Amino acid sequence: MSEEREPREREEEAAAGEPESGPGAEPEAGAEAVAGAGAEETGQAPRGGEGGAVAAAASREPVRLPSEGRTRLKAALWPPRVSRGQLVVALLLFALGLALAIQVRSTNDHSELRGARQEDLVRILDELDDKQQRLQSEKTQLEQSLAQLENSSNQAKEAQEQTRKKAAELGVLAGTEKATGPGIVLTIDDPQGQVKADMLLDTLQELRAAGAEAIQINDVRVVAGTYFTDNSSGGGVRIDGKSVSQPFRFTVVGNPQDLTPALNIPGGVVRSLENHQARATIVQQQKVLVDALATPKPLQYGKPAAK
Amino acid sequence: MIAVLGLVIGVIVGVFVQPEVPNAVVPYLPIAVVAALDAVFGGVRAMLDGIFDDKVFVVSFLSNVVVAALIVFLGDQLGVGSQLSTGVVVVLGIRIFSNAAAIRRHVFRA
Repeated sequence: MSEEREPREREEEAAAGEPESGPGAEPEAGAEAVAGAGAEETGQAPRGGEGGAVAAAASREPVRLPSEGRTRLKAALWPPRVSRGQLVVALLLFALGLALAIQVRSTNDHSELRGARQEDLVRILDELDDKQQRLQSEKTQLEQSLAQLENSSNQAKEAQEQTRKKAAELGVLAGTEKATGPGIVLTIDDPQGQVKADMLLDTLQELRAAGAEAIQINDVRVVAGTYFTDNSSGGGVRIDGKSVSQPFRFTVVGNPQDLTPALNIPGGVVRSLENHQARATIVQQQKVLVDALATPKPLQYGKPAAK
Repeated sequence: MIAVLGLVIGVIVGVFVQPEVPNAVVPYLPIAVVAALDAVFGGVRAMLDGIFDDKVFVVSFLSNVVVAALIVFLGDQLGVGSQLSTGVVVVLGIRIFSNAAAIRRHVFRA
């Protein structure tokens, strides 16, 4: 029974296979059919000769055909035959493999863009354009705010710079910063100890009047609160409580052309010092260094009055 | 055997050489590949049936590829490219399945 059914199945299958490939107007199908007919003829001729009975052939067929398929497969695969047909088929399959690999790779590579339709591409392009415009405007905004921030930071830096400068200038005045610039060095040699505090104060006032900006006597910085006292025992003078002995050496930053005549005027500082057997020498310099520092006293009572 | 070797070498070359495909061919390549696959399955089936003829195979292979590409091209010109290529893929897929079924019956007797 099963032997009867199997050939029927095969026939159905063949019948189903024919129309399927038939309407496809495919040369293969037509030739297949022709060749198939030929194969059937050649296949059946020996069978007919063998068994003689059609029924016997039909009963043997289902057993033989699949095994024939296998043997054909093996025969085609194993002893490799080099023929023109094989080479042409190999060439075609080579092209197929190549195209297959290229297609698989490009599909993996370029996501969906590579095989996308035109309208999809247009849509994607539009979206990208929109996105680019949004990003462009965002970039403009960010650049503006960056410029603002840079501006304000520059202003802050400028203000800081000015404040620092101001602080340095005030520090020179207050004696907390070293000062340098053109000026004079006035040296008072007083071998007999005749120079007293009041004479030093006169000298200092004269220098201040002539526009001295920073003054140091020996190693004491002269500031607004500097005071002079005579040493009670022996010679010498105390400046800001520090004992200073001769020769007194004034280092003064200021205009040398103003300072020197101010000291040298008749009846001025130099004259009166010479009257006390002290010798004053003035050296003008393009650059003097006032490097002594005064210790600022914190304000105890006064505070800045609001403007 | 040589044919199988050709396929394997083709895949290897495609993977390692990575040739650049001209842009004009790009949309037709996938359909052409599917059509060629259909021809190959048909060829294997014919071989198992014992009626394989290399001339028929070559002609069917080339015409399958050309016709498939032509259909896609036409569809693109008519503005129904995606639908037509889907249709072509469906038809070729059905044919590949039926051929594969025939091959299966030959090889596994089931």
